[in-house]
Amino acid sequence: MTTRIADRRPATLQILLSGFLILWLIVAAFPFLWTLWGSFKVEGDFFSKADWMNAITGPLTQAQTGSSMTGDGYYGAWVQEEFWRAALNSLIVVVAVVCISLTFGTLGGYALSRSPYRYAFWLLLVALVFRAMPPITLVSGYLLPFFEWNLWGHLPTAIIVLVAINQPFTLWMLTSFFRNIPKELDESAMVDGCSRFQAFRHVIIPVMWPGVITTGLFSFLLAYNDFAVTAMLLSKENQTMIPKIASFLGTTQTAGNVMFAVSSVVSVTAPLFVLVMFFQRQIVSGLTAGAVKG
Amino acid sequence: MARIQLRNLSKRWGSFVGLKPMNLDINDGEFLVLLGPSGCGKTTTMRMIAGLEDASEGDIMIGERRVNDLEPKDRDIAMVFQSYGLYPTMTVYENIRFPLKVRGIPQAEHHDRVMRAAAAVELNEFLERKPAALSGGQRQRVALARAIVRKPKVFLMDEPLSNLDAKLRVSTRAQIKNLHHELQTTTIYVTHDQIEAMTLADRVVVMSRGEVQQIGTPLQIYDRPANTFVAGFIGSPAMNLIAGEIRGGVFEAANVRIPGFAGVSDGKVTLGFRAEDAGLAPAGEIAAPVYSMELLGDSSMATVQAGGALVAIRAAKNFSAQIGDPIAAHVPAGICHLFDPTTGQRIDRRTVPAGKETA
Amino acid sequence: MKHRTFLWFFLPSATAMFLFIALPIFSVVTQSVFAPHEQVIREVENCSVFGCTKATQIDQEATQALREAEPMGRYVGAAIYADRNHLALSEIGALWNRSSGPVDFLGQLLNLPFYGALAFTLTYTLLVTPLAIMLGFLIALAVNAVPRFFRGPMIFVSLLPMIVTPLVGALILFWMVDARGILGAVIQMMAGDPNLSVKASTPLMWTMLIVYGIWSTAPFAFVIYYAGLQTVPQDTLESAMIDGASRWERIRFVVIPHLLPLTTFMALIKIMDNFRVFEPIVSFSASAHAQSLSYFIYSDLGGETRLLSSAAATSVLTILGVVVLLSPVLVRTWRSFGKGAA
Repeated sequence: MTTRIADRRPATLQILLSGFLILWLIVAAFPFLWTLWGSFKVEGDFFSKADWMNAITGPLTQAQTGSSMTGDGYYGAWVQEEFWRAALNSLIVVVAVVCISLTFGTLGGYALSRSPYRYAFWLLLVALVFRAMPPITLVSGYLLPFFEWNLWGHLPTAIIVLVAINQPFTLWMLTSFFRNIPKELDESAMVDGCSRFQAFRHVIIPVMWPGVITTGLFSFLLAYNDFAVTAMLLSKENQTMIPKIASFLGTTQTAGNVMFAVSSVVSVTAPLFVLVMFFQRQIVSGLTAGAVKG
Repeated sequence: MARIQLRNLSKRWGSFVGLKPMNLDINDGEFLVLLGPSGCGKTTTMRMIAGLEDASEGDIMIGERRVNDLEPKDRDIAMVFQSYGLYPTMTVYENIRFPLKVRGIPQAEHHDRVMRAAAAVELNEFLERKPAALSGGQRQRVALARAIVRKPKVFLMDEPLSNLDAKLRVSTRAQIKNLHHELQTTTIYVTHDQIEAMTLADRVVVMSRGEVQQIGTPLQIYDRPANTFVAGFIGSPAMNLIAGEIRGGVFEAANVRIPGFAGVSDGKVTLGFRAEDAGLAPAGEIAAPVYSMELLGDSSMATVQAGGALVAIRAAKNFSAQIGDPIAAHVPAGICHLFDPTTGQRIDRRTVPAGKETA
Repeated sequence: MKHRTFLWFFLPSATAMFLFIALPIFSVVTQSVFAPHEQVIREVENCSVFGCTKATQIDQEATQALREAEPMGRYVGAAIYADRNHLALSEIGALWNRSSGPVDFLGQLLNLPFYGALAFTLTYTLLVTPLAIMLGFLIALAVNAVPRFFRGPMIFVSLLPMIVTPLVGALILFWMVDARGILGAVIQMMAGDPNLSVKASTPLMWTMLIVYGIWSTAPFAFVIYYAGLQTVPQDTLESAMIDGASRWERIRFVVIPHLLPLTTFMALIKIMDNFRVFEPIVSFSASAHAQSLSYFIYSDLGGETRLLSSAAATSVLTILGVVVLLSPVLVRTWRSFGKGAA
């Protein structure tokens, strides 16, 4: 594609923009590369008192393990500290939250997008207020009743709480996706002989998949990234990955523990990278769904 | 097949009135067109018949059954939407079959009926395509096929031609007319295009601002518009309307002087006549300089300023005049319609010339 | 859609939100006006041959009975709100009388835990939101200027700081600015002070938290602006060109007005998100230098003694803060919508 004369920029502006962009890309990506590389070193290298270059070359790692790269941090975290258990818990929580959130959210979002009445608007506004509340404020409301009724500490409790906390956001996003589906589609289905639910199930949902997937991604991120709820509501055995990493930090005095945290940080980040790689388009469309379209 | 009755049907949203109480009897097998500009309540009326909108008051009867409280699916209707409402994830075949499937019609019949419906609208070659791979006209035909695949009591069509280009519109119009002749199913058709209404309808309901203006056959509506709204809406070009005054049986306005209204009481009045009824003459009731000239093909249209409005007069296609040239038109009282200037209602005159009254 | 159908469709979602958002708010408010029962103390007289001694002793049974009879605790009204850890009304009064001037008063005020947390939360929100939006706008302009082919990977990289788990992203930065990490070393070199440590300095800690905030928020602004730039009306842009508008004028009079509604939307979302800042403080172990409202609640809830009532009171105050922040939006929608209400 050749640029039109009208679109050409002056050289200085072009250089300035490019330089700025390169700087930003480094700022955005370098921390991850650095931590990834460092996770294969021993603590003495990753946090080197002598020279930060040690984190790249790894002299102490060489001395301690006989090679400039070591998987000790990963072994320690995943096997010794049973990070796999936390990973499994995370998997259960995330899958359940995404499935339930989407089921509730598509039903509710569809209703909100198709209701001509004013209360649909007010419900969305209430959802906005709910969305704005820091989750931790709600957590302080849960603890007492959950202790009282023996609900505290179990995975299902955390799951349903995360579903509820995700609902406002899910509703907003799905409502905006549903609004883009012409009403004539449900109407022709209903005239053709469907009930409301059949129209939703057989006609709307097949068209909605892209929106459902995008919303699912964000539900995934919310559940996967959560710290406030899972840290406060799950017992030690049922911990998910993020609180588990935080618990490594609490005991930094023990040698090597920090490297457990570093390697688990890399382990937690890796799936997110893959996710962004495959679903970049959906993530961008999801972020802009509410904004650009109005 | 069934007759449809609307009794005092009305629709309100809060304080906004979408449709004022409306009474209408639609005969079995009739092709009825609801005609009006956008926002006149015609689509609302149809959607209430379909059950997509709740009636605020009044009854809707399909056959002998009151259907107000029935779901759309239980009213035994089929509908063609303006943007067709095709299911984008299904093939043409599946789209047409969908009503049979959800209504639990025996599987064995499906294929035959789909093929027959597809054949009726000449879609057989496209059955395996998705709607996205079809042209506008083809999509429109899928929507038609989906409507006729079942034998519903009533067809509802909501501006089905408005998204097609002009040429396709004419041929699809003919197709719809032919289908209706074949199936003899009661059909309600909504449009804002008066030509569609005139060509398709057994009867036309002209609506404006949520109110019925006139109900009649196309010819009745063309020949005897009930008020200035209908007069100005029907016909191409629409009827010329001139505000003026009658004094002693003579209508007068700027550049206009038409005698022959004996028996009409004096006072302000709106006079209407159709461009095609009038003709140019060396001297006539209207005399004014040419405002613009347009060649239409089979004739040309001269426009002059008269009585504070632009007035069109049909001329021969080889007639030519420059803008500003003085011309005159022959507009006898016999071709004129009179309307009350405040209410817009038609003022009936006893002396209607022969040949103008068509029942 | 009919009311009844609407109800059925909306029911699951409504139930979840009612049980786990609306009721907890109620629960938080209730908890904040009740304090746990104090243990019942009984005075017992131990008599022996040497005489009698009086001793106090906890009456386990009575305590238990009291707790069971009134599981909510004892009603204390607004006492928790007024105590030193929250609104600290009496302390403020004392400070006001004692302090030498408004500056001194403010300085002292920020030492009170609730006001300190509020100050940090507001500073963070009000600095991070506009700075991140501006940075995001610049990135969007820059990415929009490169050939289409390169944009995909650039968007990928730019999304990372936002998509990464906040706790994890903050940790990654924290390790780098550690005195023994690469950025920490760079900062020491630039400052010429080999003992400089972010962990030890309050201003540095605040700066780092804000830098993290901008780093993780800018991608959101970037994506929104980038998408917005794709929908700038070409007709208007081209007619501006023909009318002789310079590059800057085109940005000023076409692009920016087009992006303005997006900015309002984004600012709203980001103010909500930044107001709940929490995880980076955990990651940076920053609680000695900076506390946010969320962290304040978290630290009350955690630990051996769960200070539920105190956490509840802070939560109520935080929720009020959110409502105040959202009030312009709420009032505006109320006005524009309430007018036509039938």
